[in-house]
Amino acid sequence: MADFQTIGKNHIRVDALEKVTGKATYAGDIYLPGMLMCKLLTSTHSHARIKSIDTSAAEALPGVRCVITGEDYPDARFGSGALMDRRIMARDEVFYIGEPLAAVAADDEITALEAVELIKVEYQDIENVIDPLEAISDKSPEVHPDLEDFEGYGFALGGNNCTMLDADRGDVEQGFKDSDLIVEETYHTQPISQGFLEPMACVADVEANGRLDIYASTQGPYQVRAQLASVLDMPIGNIKVTAMEMGGGFGAKLRLALEAFPALLAIKTGRPVKLINTREEAFTLNGPRLETNIYLKTGVTNDGRILAREARSIFDMGAYLGAGPNSGVGHGLGAYNIPNFKLRSYGVYTNKIYVGSYRASGVADMTFATESHTDVIAHKLGIDPMEFRIKNALSDGDISVNGSVIPKNGLMETLEALKERMGLPKKLPSDDPKEGRGVGICVGEWRSGSGPSTAAINVNEDGTISLLTGSVDISGSDTSLAQIAAESLGLRLDQVVVAKRNTDMAPFTGPSGGSRIVYSQGRVVQNAAEDAKSKLLDLAADRLGVPADALECAGGAVYVQDNPPQSVDLGQLARMSLSSRGGPIIGTASLSSLPYAPVFNAQGAEVVVDRETGQVRVTRFVQAQDVGQAINPMGVEGQLEGGAVQGIGRALSEEILIDKDTGEVRNPSLATYLMPLSVDMPEIENILVEVPSADGPFGARAVAESPGFGPPAAIANAIFDAVGVRIKTLPLSAERVLAAIQGRPEDEYRMDVDELRSAEAP
Amino acid sequence: MKRFEYLEARTVRQAISMLQRYGENARIVAGSTDFLVRWRQGVWNPEHVINIQRVAGLSRITYSSRNGLRIGALVTVRTLEQHPMVRRRYPALAAAAASFAGVQVRNLATVGGNICNASPSGDTIPALLVFDAQCRIAGPDGDRWVALDQFFTGPGRTVLRSDELLAEIRVPPPAANTGSHFIKHSPRGAMDIATVGVASLVSLDGRRGPCSQARIALGAVGPTPVRAYSAEDILRGQDINQELIRSAADSARDGVKPIDDIRGSAAHRKEIVGVLTRRTLEQALSSAASGPLAFEEQRRLAVQAAF
Amino acid sequence: MVEPYYSLLDTLRDEMQLTGTKKGCDEGDCGACTVLLNGKPVCSCLVLAHSAHDGEVTTIEGLANGQELHPVQQAFVEYGGLQCGYCTPGLILAAVGFLESGEEPTEENIKFALGGNLCRCTGYSKVIEAVVAAVPRPDRGSGRGTE
Repeated sequence: MADFQTIGKNHIRVDALEKVTGKATYAGDIYLPGMLMCKLLTSTHSHARIKSIDTSAAEALPGVRCVITGEDYPDARFGSGALMDRRIMARDEVFYIGEPLAAVAADDEITALEAVELIKVEYQDIENVIDPLEAISDKSPEVHPDLEDFEGYGFALGGNNCTMLDADRGDVEQGFKDSDLIVEETYHTQPISQGFLEPMACVADVEANGRLDIYASTQGPYQVRAQLASVLDMPIGNIKVTAMEMGGGFGAKLRLALEAFPALLAIKTGRPVKLINTREEAFTLNGPRLETNIYLKTGVTNDGRILAREARSIFDMGAYLGAGPNSGVGHGLGAYNIPNFKLRSYGVYTNKIYVGSYRASGVADMTFATESHTDVIAHKLGIDPMEFRIKNALSDGDISVNGSVIPKNGLMETLEALKERMGLPKKLPSDDPKEGRGVGICVGEWRSGSGPSTAAINVNEDGTISLLTGSVDISGSDTSLAQIAAESLGLRLDQVVVAKRNTDMAPFTGPSGGSRIVYSQGRVVQNAAEDAKSKLLDLAADRLGVPADALECAGGAVYVQDNPPQSVDLGQLARMSLSSRGGPIIGTASLSSLPYAPVFNAQGAEVVVDRETGQVRVTRFVQAQDVGQAINPMGVEGQLEGGAVQGIGRALSEEILIDKDTGEVRNPSLATYLMPLSVDMPEIENILVEVPSADGPFGARAVAESPGFGPPAAIANAIFDAVGVRIKTLPLSAERVLAAIQGRPEDEYRMDVDELRSAEAP
Repeated sequence: MKRFEYLEARTVRQAISMLQRYGENARIVAGSTDFLVRWRQGVWNPEHVINIQRVAGLSRITYSSRNGLRIGALVTVRTLEQHPMVRRRYPALAAAAASFAGVQVRNLATVGGNICNASPSGDTIPALLVFDAQCRIAGPDGDRWVALDQFFTGPGRTVLRSDELLAEIRVPPPAANTGSHFIKHSPRGAMDIATVGVASLVSLDGRRGPCSQARIALGAVGPTPVRAYSAEDILRGQDINQELIRSAADSARDGVKPIDDIRGSAAHRKEIVGVLTRRTLEQALSSAASGPLAFEEQRRLAVQAAF
Repeated sequence: MVEPYYSLLDTLRDEMQLTGTKKGCDEGDCGACTVLLNGKPVCSCLVLAHSAHDGEVTTIEGLANGQELHPVQQAFVEYGGLQCGYCTPGLILAAVGFLESGEEPTEENIKFALGGNLCRCTGYSKVIEAVVAAVPRPDRGSGRGTE
């Protein structure tokens, strides 16, 4: 392993001081002269025609400056993926309770709220459909009867089936015939919220020249810019988006959310307009994740080899495609080499709030199913769950679901590390008859995120550098990118400035999410640093009279490798460059995609189950993850710990409860949507495995999304180990666990798999 | 939500006269942990808000072995949690206070406010009930006393008239050889509204019994917090054994008619009432004989922590 | 002009432009708005501004001494007890309130003291480590502010 100067060392985050002193500026912290406050009117009907909206009383209220409705926006649809199915504000029809219908800009918040209450809407109800298992049938009422007219209608199957993704290999029927044991099960995961602490916020302002200035809490400034341009029907160049410090996004803030409302109000009033979502709106206005129903059928031999898998998952999309099922179909196999498979993921419309992304949406749902299923099979075969996983684990050279060859990776190392740290296999006895103790494991499989990325590095006249990256700093990524740049150029971290930026000045980059930043953006930062370095070496070669390949960069200088005292420092080179033929030094780099770099992790949970109340507490949580090369180990651990605790919340207490007749969110509050608190969390033990990736900066892999996948299955498996009950529905609440212990039947989610099979084209 | 006028009362008399003047259009606030939330939701729409935070004489808490605990209505839940005599002599009450929301809310929330809110799941109520708390109500014609178990008339409703104020809560001194325990069943160890809350008190005649007093109170399983009188009768006067405890627990369970709501089904709640009644009685019995648990242990058990 | 219906939080942010205190839910469920009121941690979103008119309020802006961070702030920085930073001011003040309360600074007590603060990014491990590290110890030098 190379000896790094800044990589692999813990550094204090570049933004730490701002954050601990309260000086960091989030979108809601912006106050501009003449600023108005915006509030929204949202639908109270789940599916209805809008017969009329009367805003006259609202407009007449003193202090109200402007009221807009869907009619004020250009008549167009947009979308987050290929399918353009959504209007930014409802026009003739509403599709879910909570859908925005109107927006008010007023002198202060209370006036805006009073104005909203004065807007009168006349609805004419249309039949709705709430249950995705009902919606997928062709007998169901249709959410969007005009689905076929939407641009991008390609993957849809018709009816409410707005997208279908598939993957096939080999011959599953033969694989099942060759199997000694076939296990068929269905699993169900719950609607869940990303739970970011900072509700979405945006301040929109119009410059004197008519350009739109957007200050937003967002992970995707370029994506917001493009979608806003489309929704407002204006050139992209007319809009500048500044991503402010963001109080958590986790995927929720990757796309256009509420920015279009203050934007249009700012244009119409000529004044800055601020909109901050309430916590309730964080649940009812913009994409959480909805339920998933997953069918798995797996064939294995008696000695534990998996031969075939059929997986069908139905993802409830809500009223619009939003973030889609995303990664559902790619993760029906898990981290195993299965030669024959048939995988289908369906996205289905219902009259509910549409889905957003959440830390690799779809994968967490699939992983709960596949990794619980893995344990069920292992137990039926009488094979230890860890050994069964090791036996079937993917190896270098195997072909992944998407057809890529699996490169060198640390899957086996993570399995071995977890096994050793936890002392598996083991039994956890309890001398208290009221409780059972158990241990369960889960293996997660993901990939490092790719996508268009650009970066630029300016070398300042004193030899320090300014790094321009369009990425949003989420969880220390700015610090990691600075470390990468520093390492490449032989500088200290404090010699790197990460510029505060906006979409005008930083070059385009993909959204900051999907495990993209360290891998892809980090790579392009490294490339930009290398570009700057080669220019510096050329200049130094001239100056020192040696060929460029005899030179190296370290300690803020360029030196002759065979004779280090023969050197020139970067500041001198930078000043020289001002008057040299090349001009001031800037390093740039750009890439559109990077090769597949898998990310594997193995997690284990020890639990105590109260046999009489069903209460489950996690007493120990261990995880091993192949991070390739930890750029900032403390930062990496923080990502792993945060992700694991989000997963524990998904496993035990979080659930968005939805009214089965209206689709309304029944618990849009942090008092009733229960995220983990410090009192209930165990210490999280992290093992950083480092098997470098081929293409990541210094071998780094993506880190942030994987830790959230595993806890639900690990805990469900641990509950089985503790008290012998298998629960296939999340969350693993006390009521559900107690009912299972007492032998009462579980909730029923009936997937009509035969109907799905027959719907396929012959 | 309606804009309102903010008023402050400095004495009980002043508060009462403001209540008389504004009647149903006024609402009292003290710790105000609920007021702004309900106001923003449009549930409470007073024209006048009367802050009694500065009313003299309502924030003291005193204990004497003869008179027991005197808790001014403005005493915070945090004070109850931390008071050494509450922890020593009324451990179920200290544990219940510790299980209430989070420390930031406990520093504001008043015992009087918690009672007057009359939530079926108010955390401190079951413990106050098993200690037979008495409420002093101040009105235009003077004071009247109402036992806490007569104070609630329905969810969010109490016997307070529109011109009355809860001034003080008195909790009699527990007999020698008394043990008490409280357990709250909820998903997390802090912040949650209880799915079920149970408090039990057992007094023994001498360290080995028989039982001279038994009180059991249940929260979040009915329109108001309630005492389980029939279950108590099974134990009073008896030498308590496992069989009797089970019998009392079954009686408590069978006596409640909880509802289904987002926190749990009625069936689950009944089940948990039985379990928690049994466990709180067992612990109360043990403490009656051998003295109370340390506060930290009480707190752990109360919130079902796994430290 | 502080209206009767303003919370202490709204007053700090909108009237006094002290935006370090954050609004996470406005319902007292997340602790992001924690300030010290007369030395005690409270949710400022629940406090009627007018009721706090003679109280002493400490916000995150009031902790550091010029460039010198409060020991709790310093510990959060050194131990990585923050990521997105939104819950950080509230957590720091809850921790400061606890450490100054005289309650025994065991890890369990620290967890309960922070039990009213939601964090979605860190998973709490490094937050607890930071607060444990900030506990004043008699053998510590002057940098920890034990004098």
